[in-house]
Amino acid sequence: MISKEDLEHLAQISRINLTENELEKFPKQLDKTIEYIDILEELASDDSVNLDLQELRFEELRMDEISMSDDKQLNKNITEDGFLRGPKMK
Amino acid sequence: MTKLDDLLAYEVVEGLTEGQFTAEEYVISILKRIEEVEPKVHSFITLDTEGALSSAKIIDKKIREKENIGQLAGVTVGIKDNISTQGIRTTCASKILENYVPTYDATVIRNLKENGAILLGKLNLDEFGMGSTTEYSRYHPTHNPWNLDYVPGGSSGGSGAAVAAGECTVALGSDTGGSIRCPSSFCSVVGLKPTYGRVSRSGLISYANSLEQIGPICRSVKDLVMMLNIISGKDAMDNTSMSSSPITVPNKSNKLNVAVIKELITGSDQEVVKSVFSASEKFQEIGFSCEEVSIKNLHYALPSYYTLASAEASSNLARYDNIRYGFDYPIGEYKWDTYFSNVRENFGEEVKRRILIGSYVLSSGYYGKYYLKARRLRSLLRLELLTLFKKYDLLIGPTMPILPFKFGEKIDDPIKMYLVDVNTVIANLAGIPAISLPIGFSNGLPIGLQIMAAPFEEQKLIDASYELEKVIHIQRRPNSI
Amino acid sequence: MSMVMIGLEIHAQITALNSKLFCSCRGNYRDLRPNSNICEICCGLPGSLPIINQKAIEYSTMTSIALGCKVPDKIMFYRKNYFYPDLPKNFQITQYNVYGISSIGIDGKYELDDAKQIRISRIQLEEDPGRIVYSEGGMNVRNTALIDYNRAGVALIEIVTEPDFTGPKEVRQFLNKLSLTLEHLGVCDTLLEGSVRCDVNVSMNGGNKVEIKNINSFKEVEKAINYEITRQSSVYNRNLNIELETRHWDDKKKITFKARSKEEEHDYRYFPEPDIPVIVLGSDFVANLKQRMPELPNQRFERFILKYKLSEHTSNILINDKKLADFFESTLKLHFSPTEIANILVTDFKSLIEDDTESTDYLKNLKVKPEHIAELAKLIEGNKISRITAKDILVKIFESGKLPSEVVNSSNSYKIADEKTIMDAVQSVFDTEKSAVEDAKKNREAINFLLGKVMKFTNGRADPKIAIRLINSKLSDPEKQ
Repeated sequence: MISKEDLEHLAQISRINLTENELEKFPKQLDKTIEYIDILEELASDDSVNLDLQELRFEELRMDEISMSDDKQLNKNITEDGFLRGPKMK
Repeated sequence: MTKLDDLLAYEVVEGLTEGQFTAEEYVISILKRIEEVEPKVHSFITLDTEGALSSAKIIDKKIREKENIGQLAGVTVGIKDNISTQGIRTTCASKILENYVPTYDATVIRNLKENGAILLGKLNLDEFGMGSTTEYSRYHPTHNPWNLDYVPGGSSGGSGAAVAAGECTVALGSDTGGSIRCPSSFCSVVGLKPTYGRVSRSGLISYANSLEQIGPICRSVKDLVMMLNIISGKDAMDNTSMSSSPITVPNKSNKLNVAVIKELITGSDQEVVKSVFSASEKFQEIGFSCEEVSIKNLHYALPSYYTLASAEASSNLARYDNIRYGFDYPIGEYKWDTYFSNVRENFGEEVKRRILIGSYVLSSGYYGKYYLKARRLRSLLRLELLTLFKKYDLLIGPTMPILPFKFGEKIDDPIKMYLVDVNTVIANLAGIPAISLPIGFSNGLPIGLQIMAAPFEEQKLIDASYELEKVIHIQRRPNSI
Repeated sequence: MSMVMIGLEIHAQITALNSKLFCSCRGNYRDLRPNSNICEICCGLPGSLPIINQKAIEYSTMTSIALGCKVPDKIMFYRKNYFYPDLPKNFQITQYNVYGISSIGIDGKYELDDAKQIRISRIQLEEDPGRIVYSEGGMNVRNTALIDYNRAGVALIEIVTEPDFTGPKEVRQFLNKLSLTLEHLGVCDTLLEGSVRCDVNVSMNGGNKVEIKNINSFKEVEKAINYEITRQSSVYNRNLNIELETRHWDDKKKITFKARSKEEEHDYRYFPEPDIPVIVLGSDFVANLKQRMPELPNQRFERFILKYKLSEHTSNILINDKKLADFFESTLKLHFSPTEIANILVTDFKSLIEDDTESTDYLKNLKVKPEHIAELAKLIEGNKISRITAKDILVKIFESGKLPSEVVNSSNSYKIADEKTIMDAVQSVFDTEKSAVEDAKKNREAINFLLGKVMKFTNGRADPKIAIRLINSKLSDPEKQ
């Protein structure tokens, strides 16, 4: 059961403000989704199942070379010295 | 003479090369068509008329000077708006990227440009690819060209609709849980989700990066193959991409063994099932064997998909804090985390829901309960399918369990909406290729057949689709609009 | 007596790399205009994908080997999810030891001088965030942040120890040895600004662990620990409890201050990085690397003793200063006389360079080169100059860069071995130091005074052995006075 506090906590760790409307209807909707995925509990906790992950060999990796192009810029909020202006930290 | 906007891609290339018409004439015809239907269909978010016309003129000049024009010369392509296009606004149908103009092209875009394709503009989608109808686009929904009261499918709804309506000859979409195949099925066009890793994801704005692929949406299998060959390939900019062999069409192939997935039939509407059976009969007529199989773990597929996709989405979308790019929202006096939260209020509802679920399933305490289990299911499912593919070349079923539906029908209940993807998520979870081919109508609403093959066996998919296309003639362009 | 347990978490940049960990921007970001060393990848622009650097894996493996860690056959990367303006993606790609596949090194050990073993918990490879600069006043003042992403994406090696240290001296020794090891491997130049950071956790008498962050050089670590021990002791003395908390080191005020309590700790929601496949190192990888990698300090130490027959004491001095040891071996290539050359380097040479050891370039900028020392050694061994002369010559060549032979020639400093000349000098001294001569007859010790006068008379050039012999014979022979 997702309480309003749970929802607010999730919203906080996700850095998302919810509107009044969303705070109203999300708990029930999220509950239904979580209920829906609860079926996964039926699956065994079997550590021996190979997670069948994609592999890349060491030999195929990128060489340590510099490659830069001049037009890589950040365009937003740049100061005279080239810094990006961010919000207050405290 | 066929209207130029009616031509298929290979017909455009032939026509241009043979001097039957100019690229400019063809593009003007397309633009006229867009003018005609766009007010009804709303496929586009950004239309680059000027860019398209100037590209056309360049192609014409090259043809006159007998220069190499590339395999897709002059063909108009619509690009789903979650694929980065340098200098052209890329929004992911979100308000949060309202002002975002990429400084680089996605690898697939570079491939298209190198082959002479003309980029028409950016096509509508559900915000960040999350949805099955484009109703979650923060700009406007797209309407199904076959019946404007109905959804075109999603999330690549703009791509499906634009191709069906003749607003572009071919399009690119992306498919995370069915987002190419669903609109292809609902709009009566051909769409392919390639094997995971076949097409570079560099430049594809991530929603769920272990599940998604960019793929073509076209009005013929031959067009699809042209597009697929151009965008495929191992890419240094994508560590998950792998090399593959080009596909040929037509191809001298052996008779293929086909199997229908039982569970996908039992879960589908009558009308849909009828069409699938008639398709399987056609397969048998052309000499492919057709049996029935069962997949044990299928009922866990959709919950696993939503667990994994939400988890990845919650992390992939964390970067949208409006500091480096985004939309117009001054920093003012806000403390940084207040600013972040305020900015991200601008996400749509569905995106917010998935991010919250994603954060939930990844939090300590729940990681083993949902995320790990979902990953295990992925392995189990893939194993099961690979075992079946030792015996059968192809697995088929309906792309969608239902016919296209009207706007607003499923929007109030997220689970109802998610269930629409139940047939398509299988291929994403297992990383296997899957195509949707138009096979019929019911009350004027399109039905699609889904064909799946083993990893990197797209040739078999194409062989079967090409043969089926020859014997099942399905209209791919509505007369009504 | 209080029981102190200290553990370290060290972040060392792989300064040896040309490029960053996941993109091809410059690895050395120092002294560049802000935000000029960036690209789509390290700024986390939508659609960008990380491309892992092969050399980074090599260097971090070498570090793991040097610290006695196990290196797995396969490694994986994980996402550590948290929001902060210096983190372009709002997650960090790092490694994590859970569910099987581990980071680049685990379960290692490192020996201190008294044979005490420090357990190394793990070594992992991860990316550095950007930097936040505060416009006037620093972090505590209400000003906007200025962000520079030049450093974002630089490769870091994180080394985590168990809390096996019992005091600041042990920590200092460990850090010195670690710096030496990293220098020998070529992995990290610890003298470069910002190349190493060290977090410390301190607990006393089995109490809560306090984490101290923001210590920006190895030198400050000892100070921070001393302060913290004092602080915690005084808290205990007032019968209060130490809170489980994170504190920051203020290197201007030389204090630790509270940053945040552990309850506000992030849940980082770790999950495997989908954009980077499992990297297969292979079972031979470590063995191959061991053969190719640079010599470690303790290996070099053994070699100096075995091959060059140096004493442990001399070897120690050389080993602990890699650049000096390198200079030594370069000199040996020109003239193989280990004992003599080592002697010159660890005594007179070392005292002349003592003040410069903090600069990364020290020794490189010296006018004295291996050729100079090689020649000096030859001159001494060939009995052409005395040791005392050699000392002066060394000072002169340090200043001028001229070869010893040049200096000796121009200042006429060759050793005098000619008995007649020395006898003249002895006679001269006997004539002027009559009371000293009387003393010397009674007191053997006073002969040194006479010897000293003879050396002075001959500008240090007389062969001391001959001079002593002549003085003694003159003293014992009354007629020769």
